[in-house]
Amino acid sequence: MSNQSTTLGPNKVTGVTVARPNRTASVQTYIPEVAKGLGITMKHFFQNTKEMVFGQRNDPVTEGIEDGINCVSYPEQKRPYPARSRGVHRLTQRDDGSPRCVACLCCSTACPAQCIHIEAAEYPEGDPRRGYERFPQRFVIDELRCIFCGFCVEACPCDAIRMDTGIHAAPYDSREQFIFEKDVLMGFPGRDGSHLTANPRHEPGEGSHPGLDRDKH
Amino acid sequence: MTLTLVAFLLFVLKAFVVVMFAMNVAVILTWADRRQGAMIQDRVGPNRAVAWIPTKVAQAIAVGPALAVIAAVGFVVLKLEPPSEELGQRAMLFSQLGILFTWLTGVVIAGKVQNRGVTNSFDAWLYSLGDPRRIFYGGLFAHFLALFVGLALNDSAFGPQVRAIGYGGGAGLLILSVLFGALYAAISINDEPRVGLRLAGLLHPAADGLKTIFKEDFIPPNADKFLHSLAPFISFFPALVVMAVIPFGDTLCFSLGKDGGLGSLLTTVPRDGVCTEAAIRLQVVDLNVGLLYFFALAGTGIVGAALAGWASDNKYSLLGGVRAASQMVSYEVTMGLTLVGAVMVYGTLRVDQMIEWQSQNAWGIFVQPAAFFLFFTASVAESKRIPFDIPEGESEIVAGYFTEYAGMKFAMFFFAEYIAVVTSAGLMSAIFLGGWDLPFLYRDGLHVSIGETVIFEQALPHLAIVLIGALGFVLKTLTLCWLQLMIRWTLPRFRYDQLMRLGWRKLLPASLANVLITGVIVMAIVQGGPAVGKFMSLVADYTKAFVALAGIGGFIYFIVFLVKPVHKRKSLASSSAEFAAAAGGTRSARMSA
Repeated sequence: MSNQSTTLGPNKVTGVTVARPNRTASVQTYIPEVAKGLGITMKHFFQNTKEMVFGQRNDPVTEGIEDGINCVSYPEQKRPYPARSRGVHRLTQRDDGSPRCVACLCCSTACPAQCIHIEAAEYPEGDPRRGYERFPQRFVIDELRCIFCGFCVEACPCDAIRMDTGIHAAPYDSREQFIFEKDVLMGFPGRDGSHLTANPRHEPGEGSHPGLDRDKH
Repeated sequence: MTLTLVAFLLFVLKAFVVVMFAMNVAVILTWADRRQGAMIQDRVGPNRAVAWIPTKVAQAIAVGPALAVIAAVGFVVLKLEPPSEELGQRAMLFSQLGILFTWLTGVVIAGKVQNRGVTNSFDAWLYSLGDPRRIFYGGLFAHFLALFVGLALNDSAFGPQVRAIGYGGGAGLLILSVLFGALYAAISINDEPRVGLRLAGLLHPAADGLKTIFKEDFIPPNADKFLHSLAPFISFFPALVVMAVIPFGDTLCFSLGKDGGLGSLLTTVPRDGVCTEAAIRLQVVDLNVGLLYFFALAGTGIVGAALAGWASDNKYSLLGGVRAASQMVSYEVTMGLTLVGAVMVYGTLRVDQMIEWQSQNAWGIFVQPAAFFLFFTASVAESKRIPFDIPEGESEIVAGYFTEYAGMKFAMFFFAEYIAVVTSAGLMSAIFLGGWDLPFLYRDGLHVSIGETVIFEQALPHLAIVLIGALGFVLKTLTLCWLQLMIRWTLPRFRYDQLMRLGWRKLLPASLANVLITGVIVMAIVQGGPAVGKFMSLVADYTKAFVALAGIGGFIYFIVFLVKPVHKRKSLASSSAEFAAAAGGTRSARMSA
């Protein structure tokens, strides 16, 4: 009977008749099935309650492969974001604590949401970096506008902007609180706790800095 | 009967105790219901209410009761010199209690050590014993050893020495283990700046109760204001007062001792000793109509729901009220008819005499098994709870008859439902599970016997038996409440026609058949003569043995289940797991008690 084809409607769609569920005597009398269901509920209740009271619950992240359900009880428990997830931005620092950013505007140009605003400024006369690079007088990211695509990170030639803080942009009360200024962005450490990057850089004025051709001629 | 001042004060006290019991259990159930649902799904549930108390106060709370227990034991041992014939049972009691508290303390601390690791030399020693289950098995062995040594040597030449050792040693063990456990708990929290009192989350219902009192009491403009305000009380009151006819313990006798007074509570009462003077019945009112009072008042609850639905001037409320009225009327019929069988067997309408019958014969669940299931189903339907929550059916008619209620009035409907759960559980445990009766525990002590064969006998003080009985009644009631909550988390809601079909076409004929079959069997036993009666009492003894063995087995299995060690594997397969492991695990959400 289950293989019997029937025509349904004007378009002659063929379908298969689904067999009626097999209702055995135990299903019909209802009580054994109720008892079975109650048994399952109680089993889970006792097991979970015991583990919760005695603090033996599986860690939902590091011991999540154990049998049974492993719920993350948010917000008491939070699953850390994976290493490559894109969280709130940070501006990396040089060894002297100044921003790595050279205000080239690559990130703000690449940003599809246009949420990055940079005001570039020249280093003062006599600074070894003057003439080679500029610095951001203001560096503002509107985290409400940001779509967390990571293009700014890819565009940056100096590894100055990163999204590896592992911080979820928190729901604040007002729009102003989502406007992250330079000092805020420089204040976030990376997941490893460092404000620096792993990429080495030759600073202007250091002996290893290749300099520009115009200095040699 | 003249109403003296003492009798009146006792009546007020008993009513207070029963009302407080019903209301507190109901309030706790409102919370436990949500909490259990969360637990089943491995969530934490409502657990965030916490009262922070200073460490010193927490230490005092830990040590204070222990000191009180020690003082009480010391007083009994030093001041209340027992008659020599009762020294044996006193020694038995104290040695068993001492062993119980010793292994209990050991298992609790061992479990703690297993979770948080070894912190001191005692922990290290306890940990070296291995699996905490060994402590429990050792404790069980000690229980049986003390029992058999006491029984075997009580009448021998070493009798006095054994009794003295059991008496003094048991009391000493009890004092030491209680003191040690309390001091251990006090010292282990010594370094913490403050201690969070969560009571397993029990502060949450208290916070909820406070919240409902201060919420706005909204009455719809077109509602009948008087009836709208009256309805919650009509539905709340009957649910509460039906507990009055249910006895929560055996009669306390004060007049049996030589001098009467408090000392007589520690003596043994004769087995069929029904005292009439200086006795306190642990029952609020002693009505000769008993069960009829229950049905009369439980039926009044319908009016509250129907009135709320009508007075709210809301079509959903009206639908809910009509549904509630029809459902409760339908299932009331089944409830009444199922108990007819029980009344035929017990031959009385008084609940205390029903319990008396059950303690002399067998529990009602063995005598009237079908009636128990029918009554259970009908009482779940009567309390309008899932799977019979059609009157409120939130997916169909918003919230049914209490749609237009807020704040405390809404809470009163809510509590009325839960109090109905408690009272029906209390009635069921009284009629079908023997109330305060525990197998083989009679007024004068423990008598384990099957037919004519006596296996074990132990006289016990009167107060201990009454207290154990009352505790048993509370436990049975809570178990039945818990079972009703479990049903709520297991079954989906019935459709309205399914509900009516179940009530009128299945439960009602089944309850009528139950009455018929019970009548035939009762007549057969009455006509059968003494031989049949003797056989039936033998069967009754076997049911008692079954209950006792199942209870002890279940208890042992439960403890073993609790202290079973847990082995876990860490798997750092993902970078987020590595981050979590580096942070010392995801911040734990545990139900800290």
